[in-house]
Formats: sequence, C-alpha cells, structure tokens
Amino acid sequence: MYPARWRKNDLLDPMGEFERLQDEINNLFDWNYPENRGLFDRSISPVVDVVENENEIILVCDLPGVDKNDLDLTITRNVMTIKGEKKGREKSEGDTMFRKETWSGAFQRTISLPESVDPEKINASMRDGVLTVKIAKREEVRPRQISVNVQ
Amino acid sequence: MSKHDTTKKQRCVQPLSEIREEEHKVIIKIEMPGVSKNDLNIVIENDLLKIYGSRKDEQIEGSYLLRERNCGDYEKVFTIDETIDRNSIDALMKDGILQITLQYKKEVQPRRIEIKSS
Repeated sequence: MYPARWRKNDLLDPMGEFERLQDEINNLFDWNYPENRGLFDRSISPVVDVVENENEIILVCDLPGVDKNDLDLTITRNVMTIKGEKKGREKSEGDTMFRKETWSGAFQRTISLPESVDPEKINASMRDGVLTVKIAKREEVRPRQISVNVQ
Repeated sequence: MSKHDTTKKQRCVQPLSEIREEEHKVIIKIEMPGVSKNDLNIVIENDLLKIYGSRKDEQIEGSYLLRERNCGDYEKVFTIDETIDRNSIDALMKDGILQITLQYKKEVQPRRIEIKSS
C-alpha cells in the first residue's frame, strides 16, 4: 500500500497539464537530473539500496521526516518489512499550497534478502533521515581462509 | 557551513520540495535525506535562493543487489521576489528535512488601520 501523490488538477486550466508535460521533458535535457515527479515517479515508496559484502548485508533506506519511533522494522527469516508513517502537517485554514512534491502517510515495503542472512544479528540506525540496517551473514556462509602449510 | 563553489557545475539531484504560505510566511520544505546540518549551504544571490546539500554518506563496500537511491549532492534554486525580507530567513534541519521560513517585508504585510471616531 503506497500513498498516492497529491496533485493539483485545475479544471479551469486544461493547458496546465501540457505545461507540466513540457516542464518534465525540458527537465530531461537539463544537466541536472530530472526532478522526481511525473516521468520519474520514484518517491511514492521509500527508495532502498541493498549492498552485500563478505560479512553482512546492508540495507539503506531514505526516510526523510520519519521519526525513529514511527518506524516498525520486522524480519522473518530473510524477508524484511519496513513499515511506518511519515507525518505530514495538518492542513489548516488560511494555508496556501504552491507546490507539493512530497508525500506523507503510511508506507510499507517488503524486501527479500539473500538466504544467507542471520536474522538474529541485526543492527539498525537512523541518522539524518536515512535508515541503515546491517544484518550479519550466517557463519557458515562466510568465506573462510584456511592456511595450508606447504612443505 | 561548507564552502560551495557556485561556478562549478556538477551532477546534482533536485530534492523534492513543498512550498506553502501560512500566517504571512512562506515555508519551504526540502527533503534531503543523508544531509546533516553542517553539510548544508544556503546562499542568496540577488533574487535567487540557492540551496546546496552535500551528502556525506559513508561509501559502502560491496556489490549492490538493489540500487534505487540517488547518489550525488542536492541542489535547488528558488526565485524569490522583492516582497521577501532577505534579512529574516530561518532555516531548520531535522531528520533529513530542511525547512526554510521566509518572511514578507514589513511594508507588504497586512496592517490594521485604526478607525478614529469623531
């Protein structure tokens, strides 16, 4: 379940949609990366990196504005679920929204990790809106160096 | 604040933002996960409000099984008009979200006019 993006649709301005499309296409030719909207709709679910190295699997997830206490992390064997809520601001009288590319609300993401992870050895930290989870690999799958004496 | 070379063009990501007006203030929220307070640089050049955030994430060694996050620094430029008071701009960084509060100049703020009774 991912929250849908808020988008202002102005019925009185049918050309607005074209302008936005033109905007997005222009963005493609910019030196900058295109903005994260429209054609590059990535922001609706939290983005995740998963890195594997010799000893552990590292999961990095961008969660700006999410409090540590609103986050629920579970692991069942090798399936990890990140669940939480990104609290937005209650809309009050007299507010005018000019632009909104961000989203708020509940989110959930389930990721299958390699079988080699050890769900008992897990370490999660949250810093500057980035969640980092380190899960150790099981002992038996780690590469082991055996020194062989050559006579 | 780190020094940012504004003339150098580098690969940057445009962060997601939200702009709203409330109580005669303009509030800009920019999502910059991975940027700490010290890696931010906010400058005003004439009518441009430029925000740079460099990501000091530790580079993780290993092979990527999944790679969705943007890498690179954040850059966002807003144009502000002459009604914004340049001298009272507040910035607050929390949990990867930068919140900038812009105030209107005194002369454009609504003013109550007293009615004298004769």
